[in-house]
Amino acid sequence: MKNNQSSIVNRQYSLTIGWLYPGLMSTYGDRGNIIVLTKRCEWRGIKAEVLNLNQDFDSKLLNDLDIIFMGGAQDLQQKIVSSDFSKEKIKLLREKVENGIPGLYVCGAYQFLGKYYKEANRSKIKGLGILDLFTENPGEGKKRLIGNIAIKNSDGNVIVGFENHGGRTYLGERLKPFGHVMEGFGNNGIDKTEGAIYKNSIGTYLHGPILPKNPEIADFLIEKALVRKYKKKIKLEKLDDSLSKKAKETILRKIVS
Amino acid sequence: MNLFLILFGKIFIFLSNLVNLGSGSTWPGHVALGINRNFLKDAVVKRKFKIIFVAGTNGKTTTGKFLQTILEANGSRVFQNNSGANLINGIASSIIKNYNILGKLNYDFAVFEIDENNLPIILETISPDFIVCLNLFRDQLDRYGEVNTISEKWRNAFLKLPKKTKLILNADDPKIAYLGENVKNETLYFGVKTIKKNAPEHASDSIYCSKCSANLEYKSIAFSHLGDWICPKCGLKRPLLDINFFSFCPLPGLYNKYNLHAAVLTSKSLGISNEQIIRALKSFHPAFGRQEIVEYKNKKIQIFLSKNPASFNQSLNAVNELKAKHIFLVLNDRIPDGRDVSWIWDVDFENNLKNFKKISVAGDRVYDMALRLKYAGISDFITYEALSDATTKETALLASSDILYILPTYSAMLDLRKILIGKKIL
Repeated sequence: MKNNQSSIVNRQYSLTIGWLYPGLMSTYGDRGNIIVLTKRCEWRGIKAEVLNLNQDFDSKLLNDLDIIFMGGAQDLQQKIVSSDFSKEKIKLLREKVENGIPGLYVCGAYQFLGKYYKEANRSKIKGLGILDLFTENPGEGKKRLIGNIAIKNSDGNVIVGFENHGGRTYLGERLKPFGHVMEGFGNNGIDKTEGAIYKNSIGTYLHGPILPKNPEIADFLIEKALVRKYKKKIKLEKLDDSLSKKAKETILRKIVS
Repeated sequence: MNLFLILFGKIFIFLSNLVNLGSGSTWPGHVALGINRNFLKDAVVKRKFKIIFVAGTNGKTTTGKFLQTILEANGSRVFQNNSGANLINGIASSIIKNYNILGKLNYDFAVFEIDENNLPIILETISPDFIVCLNLFRDQLDRYGEVNTISEKWRNAFLKLPKKTKLILNADDPKIAYLGENVKNETLYFGVKTIKKNAPEHASDSIYCSKCSANLEYKSIAFSHLGDWICPKCGLKRPLLDINFFSFCPLPGLYNKYNLHAAVLTSKSLGISNEQIIRALKSFHPAFGRQEIVEYKNKKIQIFLSKNPASFNQSLNAVNELKAKHIFLVLNDRIPDGRDVSWIWDVDFENNLKNFKKISVAGDRVYDMALRLKYAGISDFITYEALSDATTKETALLASSDILYILPTYSAMLDLRKILIGKKIL
């Protein structure tokens, strides 16, 4: 059986997608995001290469990336990743984020970009300190924030997903949220913000995974990456996203009713 | 007191069956435990029968069915909790249901399948004679939490077990094997013969050492994270196997070998011989929805419950082994399925769908499954919004010599059975 999208042979463009810790930070179907980024490039004739950056990867590889993705993890795995993040790696990743390399950081990775994570037992785990945010786990007695979620981003687009997190995240004053909660909990269940967006980096609690049902975000990342790399205006060819639309409508019907 | 609760419960079960309420498998236990917190403890503390617990993400019902078949064929009287009623109230209910009118439990064995999260809690009340631990895979993260958390809770509970409880553990699953480390209990290990394979499949869960967190290495892998593992740092490795082969398996699929070996090892430890086991297994019938074959409008349908990435991959392997041409995937997102369907992106559709001539999808989340297939490079499939419509059309189109292979999630499997045979469970 063949692809339903005919691919135009256009090897003019190519992108390298870096997947940070696919072995350790891949718990909630995260690889779906990588599959979507790759396929949406391929269907448009853009060559996409995925670089898996596992434990002990050479930090220089960060310089080769056009798009960065990092997913969620279990606690043990998160600790391993934390110890693998050398000063050199942190410095380089901060540089990439500041220079506008598009990136998607989901759940555990999103928390990790912040200043710290305070555990239920009050001990603090240091974050990478790249984004002005912090996360606190309110303690054993408090519920995890779990369920379908719909948010509206600054372009007015509705984004859907599934959230499942114990930590409550609070944004610094000047950091913009990725979206505003329509239904669900978002960053902390109180201030109606969800995720964070800084330059071209998106941090979010949305699993699902996020990209299949919200292909506009995948295209945002791809377009920004091409514009940065080829230093010219590039408009992405439209794809048939009718299935994504229907899947999104299913979620919206579910949470509105 | 308990006699009154049993009587009350039995009347409830009778009435519940009469009006087809369907809550007879949990409510009587719920009420009994509400009135007498020690109901269950009292009922089993001076028991004359043996209790076997079966726990793990995948294979509980089939392993329980293997055990029941072997034990009954060898003259033992066995009772079980209803499949799915695997929390403490389900176990209490099954006990109420099986008391006779004299207030006695006239059985030799109770085989209980136990929910992953509830195993430690239930162990505080009941000390079983055997605990069979099959595997831990990622499953319903919204409900169960993460694999590491569950295995840690199990480990803490196992360290407090009385000495008489025997452990039957899957040596090929590193987290399960580790449960036998430093316990005072007699422990037996099962596994399967594995073929050489280099890297674990995608979405493997416990490839880190339980002792020192280093990355485990595998000499060979059966599937997912199950195989012949060793920690290159601290030297922890797969324990020696007490069984890795059995000459007769009534069900296809490598995953059923694990279930079978678990049941055979338990049976042998009870003194049942290989010959007796084989004779018993010749009359084995699969549990509902687990490779169960159903005749519907003169067409053949086989149902493969597929509820998480590991079980879905194994179902796809099994139907490929059976040379299936026509498959039908049904994805729901109700509480028993897990409300988060992210897990379908961890299923290896990319490599497992090449041989099918026709693929159809349905379920509450039909478009999520359709999207998954589209991104796996499949364009030729049919989507249905209504399950009954899908079932009618798909079977009507089926040649009489063909089999329709259906891979549903749990609640979808129950809905399917309702359509196909008029009732959800038995």
